[in-house]
Amino acid sequence: MEALGITLQQLLTQLVSFLILFFLLYKLAYGPIMGMLDGRALKIKESLEAAETARLDAASSAERVEAEIASARVEGQKIVAESREAASKLREQEQGRAREEVETMLERARVEISRDKDSAVEQVRKEFASLVITAAERIVEGSLDAKSHSGLIDRVLEEGLSERKN
Amino acid sequence: MGKLLSSPKLLVIAIAAVAALLVSVAGGALGASFGLGFLGGPIPFISIPAERVAFIGSYQLLNSTVMFWFGGLILLFIAWRAGRNVKDVPSGWQNLMEMIYEFFSNTVDGVAGGRPKAGRRFLALVTTIFLVVMIINWVGILPGVGSVGRIESIEEWVHHHVEKFEAEVEDAHPAYTHEQVEAAALVHLLEEHGEDTFVAFDGIFVPLGQGEQARVPLNKIISFTETDLHEIETAIERGDDLSHVEALENIHHDIEAGVVKSEFTYDEGGSNEKDYNFTGQTAGLLVPYLRGASTDINTTLAIAIIAMFTVQFWGFRALGVRGYGGKFLVNPITKGPIATFVGVLEAFGELTRTISFTFRLFGNMFAGEILLIAMAFLLPLVGIIPFMGLELFVGVIQAYIFAMLTLVFGVMAVASHGDHDSHAEDH
Repeated sequence: MEALGITLQQLLTQLVSFLILFFLLYKLAYGPIMGMLDGRALKIKESLEAAETARLDAASSAERVEAEIASARVEGQKIVAESREAASKLREQEQGRAREEVETMLERARVEISRDKDSAVEQVRKEFASLVITAAERIVEGSLDAKSHSGLIDRVLEEGLSERKN
Repeated sequence: MGKLLSSPKLLVIAIAAVAALLVSVAGGALGASFGLGFLGGPIPFISIPAERVAFIGSYQLLNSTVMFWFGGLILLFIAWRAGRNVKDVPSGWQNLMEMIYEFFSNTVDGVAGGRPKAGRRFLALVTTIFLVVMIINWVGILPGVGSVGRIESIEEWVHHHVEKFEAEVEDAHPAYTHEQVEAAALVHLLEEHGEDTFVAFDGIFVPLGQGEQARVPLNKIISFTETDLHEIETAIERGDDLSHVEALENIHHDIEAGVVKSEFTYDEGGSNEKDYNFTGQTAGLLVPYLRGASTDINTTLAIAIIAMFTVQFWGFRALGVRGYGGKFLVNPITKGPIATFVGVLEAFGELTRTISFTFRLFGNMFAGEILLIAMAFLLPLVGIIPFMGLELFVGVIQAYIFAMLTLVFGVMAVASHGDHDSHAEDH
């Protein structure tokens, strides 16, 4: 023991020194660092979990948005189709009404025209008859009764008109 | 070569390196055999026990303790800087400490079973052992450690060593006067330590390998014969006035002078017989002020004791007194004598582990120190550089081995013998 230099005093010195060193190192470094490392591990774990839930949330909301967009698209298409149908129906209706109106207007015009023509013809005939009578009076001079002969002239004129018309 | 010549800077460095090598070869041990050896120093004194540098009361402060405390202070400073203001985002010293701590945390958990925090109970001690052993290994190879010191003269040496004998003589002969005790103790000292060797210090360079032979024995510094000692002893017993005993006078005179008195021959090896003449030179011992703490066996023994005690503590705490104690004390009747024998072997194993811990670290670091001394002698100035690097490496490796073995022994201690059974139950 002596040759190796082992002495109780020195051995105890080194033992106590080491233990004090151990204690101080624990107080100064290991404790704080261990606490910090554990805290950090916990923090990392928590934030990873939070990130995972956020990711899941995002995924589910994206899905929801997708579904909503799809349903909106379907609805829009439906609306478009409906309105197109309504528009075409309306157009047809309008067209029909316009055609009818035109026809009635045409009809009315035709009726008016024929009436005007008839009245004009009537007037002309009356003029003509009186003219003819006047002329005939002059020719026949008294021989002829204006009243009894106007019926004859009307007949002649009517024949002549219908011939012309045909 | 062309590259070397084209760059003046490199060329200068290369020339300087070659010059340093040449100077070191010429100035070293090789040059000494051609009459050069101008860089040689006195023969190093390789002492296994650590040297005393101061007395604090009756407490002897050894140079290895100084270095232990110095290394400890460095460690505490780093720990303080690292742990003073721990942040989640580390920086500076905290980074370093955290890296080491985390490395050991992972290692310890890995060895202790792989689950997180499985080895938490081992962590603090294993890390401390690593850090402490590494730092004392490293500060131990700082330049100046083990080589800067003072010369302890023969007078001082005698003064320190005679104390023990004085106490013995006082116990054996309480009636002696102070002078008688001193003289008797001196006689005992010379009888027992007459063959101890010292170094002649006056600018002598002794080639490596002959250092031990060229050491001067004490009886060539203090000349005395068997009859001289006998004469003194009889004078003491008769109660004569000791100041008139001529032999004792001469011895005191020689101790005070502390000078080599005569030529001597080293003849212990037989074939290596050689005469040395250091007559007239001051003799003494170099006492280094500082010495690597791991080159003192007390330090390594202390750490080994702490490690092995803690291992036993872990074992008892994990398995209980019956469970852990049952590893060593086995009932020969119920379990059979072979199991008992194995248990005793286990107990001895714990003891040998302590010793192997002690001597592994001590041996490596002490040998490293001697290696550095040897290189400083063979190739002064340059030879030591690569070996310094080697010693740095050895310092870390030894610290790691010490820490890892502590961990492994601890894990083995907390693992019960019935581990297989309990596993079987689990499945």
